[in-house]
Amino acid sequence: MAVNKQNKKSFGRIGALKHNWNIKLALLSILVALAVYPFVVISSDASIDDVIPPVGTHVGEDVPQPIEFPHDIHVKVNKINCMYCHTYARRSKVAGIPPTSKCMGCHKVIATDKPRIKELTEYWENKSSPPWKKVHDVPDFVHFTHERHIKRFVTDRDFPVENVKEICAFCHGEVENMTVAHKVKPLNMGFCVRCHEDNGGPADCWTCHK
Amino acid sequence: MSLDNLLSNWSQYRKGHEEGGFHDYEHRWGMAIDLDICTGCNACSTACYAENNLAVVGPERFEKGQAMHWLRVERYWDQSELDHPEQGASFLPMMCQQCNAATCEPVCPVAATYHTPDGLNAQIYNRCIGSRYCSNNCPFRVRYFNFYSYYESSWPEPLNMQLNPDITVRDKGVMEKCTYCVQRIRSAKNKAKMEDRKLEDGEFTTACAQACPTNAIVFGDWQDENSQVAKLWKKHEVTRAVTKQNKDNPEKRGYRIFEELNIDPSVMYLERVREKV
Repeated sequence: MAVNKQNKKSFGRIGALKHNWNIKLALLSILVALAVYPFVVISSDASIDDVIPPVGTHVGEDVPQPIEFPHDIHVKVNKINCMYCHTYARRSKVAGIPPTSKCMGCHKVIATDKPRIKELTEYWENKSSPPWKKVHDVPDFVHFTHERHIKRFVTDRDFPVENVKEICAFCHGEVENMTVAHKVKPLNMGFCVRCHEDNGGPADCWTCHK
Repeated sequence: MSLDNLLSNWSQYRKGHEEGGFHDYEHRWGMAIDLDICTGCNACSTACYAENNLAVVGPERFEKGQAMHWLRVERYWDQSELDHPEQGASFLPMMCQQCNAATCEPVCPVAATYHTPDGLNAQIYNRCIGSRYCSNNCPFRVRYFNFYSYYESSWPEPLNMQLNPDITVRDKGVMEKCTYCVQRIRSAKNKAKMEDRKLEDGEFTTACAQACPTNAIVFGDWQDENSQVAKLWKKHEVTRAVTKQNKDNPEKRGYRIFEELNIDPSVMYLERVREKV
């Protein structure tokens, strides 16, 4: 505000004009946003229309993590892509837990005064990493590969990568509304097989059983 | 796989059996083993133990026939009446022959063993209830039953660190058998699909073929005409879905064990060449 006032003082009429224009632009952009909003929502819905997400819910136990990692702040507020931290999802069988260096990449400068970040920094300074616990674990006799699922549902369908969380949510639920991840899908054989049947996945036992 | 799916696969398989084999194969893994260059060194067997988490059962259980070697090197004497150096040993690596019309498959009461679209006899350990019908119906005796839980005795700490994570450690009461290193097939197929291409011949091989110092074991996709294994089968005029090969020409050394049983094995052996006495 102080800057605006100064601007008005120094630029006189031009400043007033600019101010007027700003309001018009703001109104226009609100109108445009309102008009476009339903289409945006529909089109993003339509983009997952050709796949049938797996069906099923599960009430998973709380998995106590060494630091209560807030997925909601990272995903919902700061809009960080799932694959920024879980970078191996598109490259390997496992999605991977990010190394502490990745956390510190941001948290050397961001939110350094928060207790959880102080705890994290302690791990970092001791050259160790928080012993994160696995939440979504399939049995040892199951072969599951993230990369092929990402390829099938994201890369091959030209699905916008920035919305990848909608695909991840098929099996991981809405992580954006959780703090620490919680298992909300059963991840059992019926859950997998129904989705494979609906979306044309392989039905050979040896594809998944090992 | 729903019940419908399972039953349709089953009937397809049964029908395929009558028509000399199930036809829609994605791949058809096969082998060619040259007994003339096999030295009987057992490297293949050792490699199999390492690759597939095979339990070491100890001498007492071995004597009882409870060994778990998916690939065993059988030894035969050409002239058993003679003394040791003159006996003339022949070796024959014997693993699951991945029969196209396998005798083990129809006898399983729970469909734990079935034919895959790759032409392999699969064994699903979770599904197996340990009836041992398959083993008793196998003419090659290449199915091995876990009479005990071998985890603690076979891999005491820290040996459990050597276990292959891509294959389960089978527990007591489960039948197991050679899978043609399905975990390698799976990862190679996975890699090819990630790169949107077809699998190439020689891109991967089984542990036994990889370990063989004389390259006596050749593994590949029999359906791919340009694969080394298909060329060898062709060169020795060995064909599928027959009960007898044309053996008029002694240069063509190829044969399949027990093919007269109409089980259509996927392994071709090349006879050993002996000097005429």
